[in-house]
Amino acid sequence: MYKNGLSYAGVVSLLLLTHASMLGIVLVRGNYESPKDLIMLACAVLGLDLVGIIASLCYRQMTYTLDLMLLGILNMSLIFQSCFGGVHLSVKFLITCVASLISCEIGFLLTRNHEWIRHQKKYIYLVIGILIACILLFTGGRSMWITFKGFSIQPSEFIKPCYILVCAASIVELHKKIKVTFFYVSPDTLCVLGATLVIFGLQWWCRDLGSLPTFAAVFACAVVCRFCYPRAKISKTWIAVAAVCGVLVLLAAWKLAPAYVQERLHVDIWADQYGSGYQQCQALIGIARGGWLGLGPGQGNLHKVFAYESDIVFSTICEEWGLLYAGIAVLIVLIMLTTVLMNPPKSYYHATMTAGIVAAFVAQMSLNIFGSCNLIPFTGVTLPFISQGGSSLVTCGFMVGMLKAGQSPLFRHKAEKLREDAAAELPSLPFLHKKNSRKSLGNTPQNRRPKV
Amino acid sequence: MKSIRRGQHLITIMLLIFLIGFGYLIYRLQRDSGFYISHASSASLGCVYDRTGDVLFDPHATAEDYGGDHFVDVGNLIGDDSRQMTNTLVSQNKAQLANFSFMLGEQKDGKAAIHTTLDHSVNRKVYDAFGSKDGCAVAYNYVTGEIYVCLSRPNVNILNRYNDLSTLKEGSLLCKVFYPTVPGSTQKISTTIAALESMGYETLCSKRFSCEGVYNNNHSQLIKCHHSDGHGTQDIYDAFANSCNPFFAQLVEDPDWTLADIQKTYRSMGYRVNGQGDQGYLDINGISAYTASTDVSDKDDFDSQWGCMGQGTTLVSPLQMMVWQSAIANQTGCATMPYLIAYTNSVGGDRINEAVTRTGSEMFSARNAAYIRDIMLRNGKENYAEILPGTDIGVKSGTAQVKNGTEENSLLTGFVDDKDFPVAFCIMIENRVRGEVSTSDIAGVMLQNLKSALEE
Repeated sequence: MYKNGLSYAGVVSLLLLTHASMLGIVLVRGNYESPKDLIMLACAVLGLDLVGIIASLCYRQMTYTLDLMLLGILNMSLIFQSCFGGVHLSVKFLITCVASLISCEIGFLLTRNHEWIRHQKKYIYLVIGILIACILLFTGGRSMWITFKGFSIQPSEFIKPCYILVCAASIVELHKKIKVTFFYVSPDTLCVLGATLVIFGLQWWCRDLGSLPTFAAVFACAVVCRFCYPRAKISKTWIAVAAVCGVLVLLAAWKLAPAYVQERLHVDIWADQYGSGYQQCQALIGIARGGWLGLGPGQGNLHKVFAYESDIVFSTICEEWGLLYAGIAVLIVLIMLTTVLMNPPKSYYHATMTAGIVAAFVAQMSLNIFGSCNLIPFTGVTLPFISQGGSSLVTCGFMVGMLKAGQSPLFRHKAEKLREDAAAELPSLPFLHKKNSRKSLGNTPQNRRPKV
Repeated sequence: MKSIRRGQHLITIMLLIFLIGFGYLIYRLQRDSGFYISHASSASLGCVYDRTGDVLFDPHATAEDYGGDHFVDVGNLIGDDSRQMTNTLVSQNKAQLANFSFMLGEQKDGKAAIHTTLDHSVNRKVYDAFGSKDGCAVAYNYVTGEIYVCLSRPNVNILNRYNDLSTLKEGSLLCKVFYPTVPGSTQKISTTIAALESMGYETLCSKRFSCEGVYNNNHSQLIKCHHSDGHGTQDIYDAFANSCNPFFAQLVEDPDWTLADIQKTYRSMGYRVNGQGDQGYLDINGISAYTASTDVSDKDDFDSQWGCMGQGTTLVSPLQMMVWQSAIANQTGCATMPYLIAYTNSVGGDRINEAVTRTGSEMFSARNAAYIRDIMLRNGKENYAEILPGTDIGVKSGTAQVKNGTEENSLLTGFVDDKDFPVAFCIMIENRVRGEVSTSDIAGVMLQNLKSALEE
């Protein structure tokens, strides 16, 4: 059964305490023109908290950590985003937060049954194909963005979870091989390799090289998982060949990267403080000015710098809220990712899927935070859950749903045992016990199922 | 299940790598935040003081507070935060001067400050002693490395906020002490050291060369002496004092040493020879100072001989000339590295970053340092005793031809042979004309005032 780490009451208290303290800071140190702005923000944050908590109570709950953590980080981001340059509720971000929460549920429902989702891989490939076609047809040139009546969508973001799913499916089915001339090959492996090449090629063509490392991390993670797979029977020679190939590909990419990428790889940002190093220099100056405690919500200067709310959002938060709150936000995301260590997946499909999700999040967080702080080349990707961007937030929500699903797969032949375990677990949840005790025995196989 | 556990391990490794990276990021932010804030367009900075507490830089300075020309002698040395000058004390040390701590962020009323080794009062007197002439002067303690005097003319009055940029004379925005100049006959110090290193003191002293006012070298090229009647037959002591070009041309041609010997000693003294290797720079609390460079490719050729006498393509910064004096005066062959910052104050007012005396590697032997010291002291006694009456000084003067020989710069470098007043110096006057203020006049003003100031 799920391990949640903290009691439900504990997590809810922490969630409310964090948001209340942040709103308190906005009240005391924030830059707002009228109290109305602050009241609207407080209503939105606490209202979303309340709705989220009530919604979670309406479900038969065996896990709550991830749901409440997602709610927590999204509301933190809502406060951050609403305070940049002055306090005002960011309605757009609020809407994307709600979309992200809904997306999380969809992701969970779609992927919780590993047997079912495994067999949908042809549809997942189809989705990837449609998304690629959309990019090629509707983005207008070598771009990743589809703009329609003021709204911008980045279809490549939606490819990420699909790609993770096909990687996971290919590994579980790699033992199914067919003979082609003298070689036995796995059609699934070939398919995923083909998809990888197409996605990488598309990224290269669209000059969206910032996202490439994220896909590369997922792919590398899948390759490592493949080596770990019991039926893989891969010799050390093949592992060595794969490692050499990986290094060669990296070297080739390094050498063949476009001029603007080469410039970013070698730029001395302080020598070109007002040129190509401008964003990073301002980001680092912003962090320094903020120190540990920040200048106060809305009191910073970074909101005048391009992509302050997305590519260098970590620095913008540091400047206004201090490294302390920026660190807390990162910590919450890390805690979300470590829940998968508390509740190991029960199937290899889910194990590969969760590893891919963690790889994608870790790669993207590293690219954003370390890139904007000049530890690695600046790529200009979004910071999961925190950066502004509907496509990114919805995808992140979906992937959190997958992460949650990966922790508790449904096994038909273990349904009885699960039922017993659930019955034993529920009394320990005082919030839920009264409400669910009468019905729990009949419905426990699913770790979470809406009331019917 | 084993394979699932491996997947868990993979996740653990990824999270750990990220955590390590994040930890390192926090460490770096903590460590370098002062540097970052120093690049901010509006950083709150503290003041810079001289050794007596006189203000050399105040970010809020006005002409009413300090008088119109209070900073005029240190404008291009201490600089300011306007970004007009980059190789100055303030622009290179803004991190230490910033009223900022990562824990508390920016502190408008912080106590960050830099305390320098300069003596502003003496510095100003030397600046005024130049009169209408341009040039530079630098003096430091060759035992401890403290720079007492450092100025360059023309200068910039930072209180004018650069409103007069278009009318500023060329060179106003840089301190010439740190930039290369033609050394003239002061180069003969280096050439004499090279000869001592290669052929030894006895052999060098045994050399006698004749000067008839002009010398026809092995390539039949003429080397002229500034004394057209010639100096007659001289030894190294006389030739050094007379700054005799024909003597040194014949010394360079002498078969008792090779071209490689000259190049080797020059290189060990910090010269970039014949464009080989990287140009060396001295670091004076972040300020970058040129060392020296020359071209010596044929002992018998005019250009090489001319270079060994400090003309042609030979370039040395006045600071480097002064630093060589420490290796001579200390009789070690090792230079005492100069510094400008005595200590700094943190935002909270704590005294931190106390200066430490550093010594460079051996450039020439201690024995030869003692010999060249002796040669220079004799020159000082015989020709420059009036600079600091009652105290021995070792000196070498020089006249450098610049702007294709249309102008001549006058140089003087040397040291005071006094344990209680161990000062080395270098002075340069640009386009000096006979009858105007001389380098020895300025040396007199500098050393006499400095001695009084340090005794107080």
